[in-house]
Amino acid sequence: MKKQNFQLIGRNNNKGLNFCALFFIVVSVLIIGNSVCYAAEADQHEGAQYFNQVCSACHTINGGRLVGPDLVNVQERRSDEWLGQFIKSSQTLIQSGDPQAVAVFEEFNSMVMPDAPFTDEQITAIIGYIEVASGGGEETVGDGSEDAVDPEVLSEEAALIETGAASIEKDIILGQNLFQGKIRLQNGGPSCISCHHVKNDAVIGGGILARELTTVFSRMGEPGVRAILGSSPFPVMQQAYLNKSLTDEEIFAIVSFLEQADRDHMFQQPRDYGVKLAGTGVVGLMVLLGVYSVLWRNRKTKPVNKSIFDRQGKSQ
Amino acid sequence: MDVRSQVSMVFHLDKCIGCHTCSIACKNIWTDRKGAEYMWWNNVETKPGTGYPGKWENQDIYKGGWEKDGDSIALKGAGKKKGLLNIFHNPNMPMIDDYYEPFTYKYLDLIESPASDDQPTARPVSLITGKPIDIKMGPNWDDDLSGTPDYARNDPNLEGLTPAEQDAMFQLEKMAFFYLPRICNHCLNPACVAACPSGAIYKRGEDGVVLINQDVCRAWRMCVTACPYKKSYYNWNNGKSEKCILCYPRIEAGFAPACMHSCVGRIRYLGVILYDADQIESAASADESELVDKQLDMLLDPYDPEVIKAAKANGVSDSTINAAQGSPTYKFVKKWGLALPLHAEYRTLPMLFYVPPLLPVMASVTEVSKDQNDNLNPIAKQWTDSWLYDTSTEELWGTIDQARLPLKYMANMFGAGDESKIKGQLQKLMAVRIYRRWKTVGDISEEKVNEVLKDTNLTAELADEIYNLTSLAKFDDRFNVPPAHREQAIEMLEFAGDEKGSTGFGIKEKVQRGL
Repeated sequence: MKKQNFQLIGRNNNKGLNFCALFFIVVSVLIIGNSVCYAAEADQHEGAQYFNQVCSACHTINGGRLVGPDLVNVQERRSDEWLGQFIKSSQTLIQSGDPQAVAVFEEFNSMVMPDAPFTDEQITAIIGYIEVASGGGEETVGDGSEDAVDPEVLSEEAALIETGAASIEKDIILGQNLFQGKIRLQNGGPSCISCHHVKNDAVIGGGILARELTTVFSRMGEPGVRAILGSSPFPVMQQAYLNKSLTDEEIFAIVSFLEQADRDHMFQQPRDYGVKLAGTGVVGLMVLLGVYSVLWRNRKTKPVNKSIFDRQGKSQ
Repeated sequence: MDVRSQVSMVFHLDKCIGCHTCSIACKNIWTDRKGAEYMWWNNVETKPGTGYPGKWENQDIYKGGWEKDGDSIALKGAGKKKGLLNIFHNPNMPMIDDYYEPFTYKYLDLIESPASDDQPTARPVSLITGKPIDIKMGPNWDDDLSGTPDYARNDPNLEGLTPAEQDAMFQLEKMAFFYLPRICNHCLNPACVAACPSGAIYKRGEDGVVLINQDVCRAWRMCVTACPYKKSYYNWNNGKSEKCILCYPRIEAGFAPACMHSCVGRIRYLGVILYDADQIESAASADESELVDKQLDMLLDPYDPEVIKAAKANGVSDSTINAAQGSPTYKFVKKWGLALPLHAEYRTLPMLFYVPPLLPVMASVTEVSKDQNDNLNPIAKQWTDSWLYDTSTEELWGTIDQARLPLKYMANMFGAGDESKIKGQLQKLMAVRIYRRWKTVGDISEEKVNEVLKDTNLTAELADEIYNLTSLAKFDDRFNVPPAHREQAIEMLEFAGDEKGSTGFGIKEKVQRGL
């Protein structure tokens, strides 16, 4: 009996502790909530980092449409809750039939926005950053758009484009070779063809693990493609190029190639044998077997002592 | 003159008793492994008979060996063009049933079966599938079965014999057979080497042993088809072809090969013969009538100073030349002219020679005349008279012509079909017997003996020599194994100095005493 009492006492104590912890959490959440304004500076910084790493591949803040919509003052158009859900998993929201989500999805060529690997806090931070960046200052608008797409990359590429008179044949061929893995990516990343295919005379049998990239240029536009190559928003691609990022020259070359592939894809007729290939194989095999059955008709198939064996008794 | 040395063999068929001890010795050492159970690198066949694998001598079936192609020769079933065309199906290759499906018995069933009304039996099981089988064939299935329609009468060597002659061979009381032990001939012009698409087979330079490099063999099995003697076998377990290696590890250690060492009848002789490699092509592509002679012409006299000089220039060591001078095989083949290659018409220049069997001749008879019939015991069917052993030379050579195994049959095996090639050999063997009979029994007059020796170009000394090496030869007389000189062969391939100081005499563990 005494022992039981002890245990009861113990349980009571535990409950007391739980209540204590809950109290502290609630209090701290309240404090944090209240002090959002004080922490805005830090949040803005954190949010900006996430935004530039992931979102800026497709979105700008007051920089115009890229792959996805310009997010300037988005919090005025959508609730924070809606934004949170959309960022977390846009496809879930779209499939649930949310009219706003479906409308955005269709407006932007049904481009799937990848699910972001963010925690709720990080999402809050990003939304906070967008808010700050859109309302924050007219003076940062111009910079903001370029900030969004890794400023250094952009400026250098812009320089390249300007000096190199857009992409020249050499770059396209380089891009084609990089795409196919004939030339290795400098930092050791996997070549595009491992996962992607492009309908192009030069490319035979690209990967089918990821999107087919023939018309990626018209779908996403040059900044979009470049941004994805610079820092990919797609989790798998992110992982694949972790610490193996492409160099500016490589991005420029691959973009040139994709642009050319997009432009010319109407005229490219790479043969797609499909079922015919297997069919040809089967027919070829039959023909070969036919030829061999003629060529090999003299093969010795009977033992020399067959007549003896035939006469021998069998136990079964 | 391109003098090379070859370890050659002579099998004296008159002495073979068909005990298969050689086969067992070889099997126990080399082919008692999974995948090799059906192989008999050494086997003994009853002749007339179809042998192992069945009808191996019939090259219309197996397409082994070489055939004449203009001035030169070409492989019959393989080679560059034919080989490439047939590389994936190898049309003339023997199948396992041409050899036999190897088997064992479930002996344990005899002692482990539970008690029951019936006696337990040991069922035969296949060594390939492991399942019970009906035994269809064995490696010497027709052992001692002369005259059988399935085996003896299907002997490919009966070709060219009239039906009457064939029938005469197989009459009940005239029937005769002899044994033909066979190993790899370690030919001078091996078809297996020429046929191998992988280049895995080679003829060892120092002693002419033909070997298959197991690392290089790619299981094309062209050697199995190409060897007319069917002495290259495919190991279905490890996917490599294997063949007689002439017990080279034993030869290198100075021992005779296991089959020769164990031979009960002491029929086997081994020794070095020097030959002229420049003549290989011309000898192999000679006309059929000249084949045997040209092959024997290639073999060089080891006492000839010219030959010795050329051999030394070619890197043949003194000890090998010395062994060639004492070689029993050289005596049988060249000096006495008693031994002949088996099936010279395959053009592989085999270096295993056979002294043809004379045995049936001694008990043979000429036409049975009336007075002879009178002497025939009607019940025992034995001749009571001693007229049988009429050794007047006229009668004598007559009996060879009318031997129970016709000369043509022997010639098909040992004379490339030419009876005159083998007749001299048989006469010489007979002459030695007559000479010895005169010496030991004394019922023959000396004049007759001298006449016989003169007829066969023998002298009393030569006849004694032949008799000694045939009947009284000791181990070292029969086997003159040349020193191997592997060290020299190895030095050609790698620098032996690398091993110096790292092997040999020394202390492995540090001594725990002293300073």
